[in-house]
Amino acid sequence: MQEGRVLPSRQINADLLRSILNSPKWFWISVAFLAFFVLAAFSTAGFLINRGYGVTGLNNQVLWGFFITNFVFWIGISHAGVMLSAILRLSKAEWRRPATRAAEVLTVFSLMTAMLMPLIHTGRPWRTLYWIYTLPFVPYDFARGIWPNVRSPLVWDPSAVYTYLTSSILFVIIALLPDFAVLRDRTTGLSHRIYSVLAMGWQGNARQWKLQIIAGVLLSALILPVFVSVHSIVSWDFGMAVSIKSWHSTIFAPYFVVGAVHSGVSAVVFVMILLRWAYGWQDYIRLEHIDALGRLLVVVATGWFYFFVMEILFGFYGMESDELAVRNMQFMEQPWNILMFFFVGLTYFLPVGLWLTRSWRRNLWLMSIACISVNIGMWLERFLIFVPAQARKQVFTFNWYTYAPSIVEIMIIVGTFAMVTMLMLLLSRVVPLIPLYDIKEGDILKTQVQIGRRTVPATFRED
Amino acid sequence: MAAGEHSHEGMWVFPAPEAVTQDMAEKAEAMPKAIARALAVTGILFALGIAGFVMRALDDGFGAHGPWGYYAAIFMFLFMVTGAAPLAAVAFRFTKSHWRRPLSRVSELFALLGVLNVIMFIPLMIVLPSIKNPEVGVEELEIRRSIWFETPIGAPLAWDFLGLLFLAICSLAILWLSAMPDMAEGRLTATGFRRKLYSLLAGRWYGTKRQWILHKVGLGLLGAFYFMLLVFVQFTVASDYAMSLVAGWKDSIFPPLFTLTSFQSSLGLILVTLFIMRRWGGYEQYIGVSPFWSASKILLGLTLLWAYHTFAFLITFWYGRLEIEQNVLKYFFFEAYGGAFAANLFFSFILPFLILLWNPVRKTDWGPTLAGLSALCGAFIFNLKTFVGAFNAGDVYAIFFEFIPGPTWPDLWDVFMVVGGLGAAAFIYLAATRLFPILSVWETKEGAKYQKMDTLVRGRYLVLAKPE
Repeated sequence: MQEGRVLPSRQINADLLRSILNSPKWFWISVAFLAFFVLAAFSTAGFLINRGYGVTGLNNQVLWGFFITNFVFWIGISHAGVMLSAILRLSKAEWRRPATRAAEVLTVFSLMTAMLMPLIHTGRPWRTLYWIYTLPFVPYDFARGIWPNVRSPLVWDPSAVYTYLTSSILFVIIALLPDFAVLRDRTTGLSHRIYSVLAMGWQGNARQWKLQIIAGVLLSALILPVFVSVHSIVSWDFGMAVSIKSWHSTIFAPYFVVGAVHSGVSAVVFVMILLRWAYGWQDYIRLEHIDALGRLLVVVATGWFYFFVMEILFGFYGMESDELAVRNMQFMEQPWNILMFFFVGLTYFLPVGLWLTRSWRRNLWLMSIACISVNIGMWLERFLIFVPAQARKQVFTFNWYTYAPSIVEIMIIVGTFAMVTMLMLLLSRVVPLIPLYDIKEGDILKTQVQIGRRTVPATFRED
Repeated sequence: MAAGEHSHEGMWVFPAPEAVTQDMAEKAEAMPKAIARALAVTGILFALGIAGFVMRALDDGFGAHGPWGYYAAIFMFLFMVTGAAPLAAVAFRFTKSHWRRPLSRVSELFALLGVLNVIMFIPLMIVLPSIKNPEVGVEELEIRRSIWFETPIGAPLAWDFLGLLFLAICSLAILWLSAMPDMAEGRLTATGFRRKLYSLLAGRWYGTKRQWILHKVGLGLLGAFYFMLLVFVQFTVASDYAMSLVAGWKDSIFPPLFTLTSFQSSLGLILVTLFIMRRWGGYEQYIGVSPFWSASKILLGLTLLWAYHTFAFLITFWYGRLEIEQNVLKYFFFEAYGGAFAANLFFSFILPFLILLWNPVRKTDWGPTLAGLSALCGAFIFNLKTFVGAFNAGDVYAIFFEFIPGPTWPDLWDVFMVVGGLGAAAFIYLAATRLFPILSVWETKEGAKYQKMDTLVRGRYLVLAKPE
């Protein structure tokens, strides 16, 4: 399945470094537009901190609303990086090549954005410093002895996320070394000096390539357990709570991980389509790549749907009245039932319907619709898991409540989407979002086999 | 005899396409002594199993489900392993993996055991307690918890049975469709009974372009349907015969864990069969190390996923501290069946993980086979622990699982039924290999055209063609 032509190395450099060496006109306009939303979000967060939690829609019953939903959503998006990069690298899938860098970078930015959410959610973010230090090098809980439960999932969570963030950054840097060296050799002045430092003396000799490949494979293998643990632990933030019905489910961890991969890979496909359109990378991000990702997504989506059905079915299985109250709210009460309808339709039936036909998978408009649909659906999924369960957590029905987000929460959430997009755009100005060396390697390994009268595309295998 | 042109240090083999058909026909028609002996031994075990079943029925009847725990366990093990085995052919054909070619037919032949699964399921339909409580006692439910809730028409038995029946039919259809080109070629060379059988199965196959397209589409559609049906049937059968028999056990990860164990153990079974064929069956020139190496990575992934799902279950129940959850943990994992769980953990995770961790070991034929065998043992213990435990967990209509019984040890009839079930499965599979070529001839020939050795810069490397 090779549809592209083999391009000369010089042209690959020129094409893929275009975003860095020649900034298009629309670039700064787009950045300014996105920066406006980011600034608005930060100002709103400042307003929230100044005025207190009364300006949000959160209440005594529903304490975790838009912010935590958004936190889990962005953690989910971050799973695309490892899914595409590490797994496909280990499985030597040829079609991974143009997708890995964008996926890895998206991982880093979405993780950073995700971690802003609990910070804002605390209401007094400066106090989070106490989680780490009071006296130099002494964590708050040990120093004061008043937060003794280090076994809490809320402690595992930041540990896992920061481990994932660190390893993801390392993963990106290792893969970037050869490309930094190319940039070093093509820039002058301050840029040249910065790229020289970043390239870490890369000369492209056999030993360096060998070490880079080994490091890539080792990091791929090591990052996989971290990737799985992150979203599992995020799911256990909820799954370990016995008192809130519908959350204490054994399937939560794999269900969250598969959902994260589903939304993350969809997001990467959308980013790839945008990059192809914005920078004219039709020779690199080809329809065959989008097609392959579409097929992968059919499998991932179906796996996710299976876990979703199990989660819902076993919610009813126990026939416990307090859990049935939550399910009743999700499925029977407006507007939750309407949201539930849209969530299932947007996450599974619409996109999978669009991914089933080859010609539709190769239609970039339809693929964009499908990928955006998945992400709207997955955002709704988290919202529908968290909010109804809290709204019905009280024993007495007169204590049941509901939740509606305020404009403050909505603005901050919109700001996070603008921030990730803006950071991706800005990064495309300094590093190539398609790995140069990976594309060149793929071209070297391409060959053909003659079978009868047909010439069939083929690939060299190194093992 | 197919002469291998050349090989790449045993990893990839390049059989000569023109000699494959004749060689396969000769191998299928031959009856080596080892096979004859194996057929005799498994036949005796099969007979012992029938004797054990009859004696169990005479001793205990079908009124209570408790005494049938070991029967349920061996049925579940066979269903778990053989039901998922044809999926290996389907899945790796779907992903266009070249290394799958030697194992396609090996896995598809397990479809024949679907018939055994359907037959073995019938007694279990009789012993399953009704969902509606016939005599509601103190602190008992009127309707026990089950995935069928208000019991729609025929639930659960009719749905479980129909599921198993359609699964058997679907897997046989996959085997038939996949083997059709081979049968068409075999009818030219085979004699006697085989010739008639091959002619019947080949139908009007002439290998036209249209027929090949339909063949491909048909296999794709049947494979997709089989995959979804298998997951559904595993969910219903495993829930009905384990979770819903333990009062108050609510565990949404159990069906996925059952399915995952089935994928892991069936791949293990296929690797063991492949190893036997390569080592002692005379198929070395058709089966390189490459299928073992590639499958070993998938087996490693499945092994890790098994541990992950088990951990997700254990930590949620352990952390929850609910009495019912603690009792389930004590019964199945730490006290009554604690030893069985430890063995299950060792064979399903620790041992295969330690073996498959090393690339040099993965690049052998024995390493992945050993890991596969371990996964098979693990799955066997998983089923014993789960289904014997569930069948003997006390009052199924109780509100929750309050009193933890001790483990149920097997008696002589249980042992007979367990070894008999294994013997029956092996007997049927061995007999099938005498009727059908155990290697997919058309896929082997296709593979021989798509792969070659070529020079890149200064080295000789394998070239794999991908036509689509």
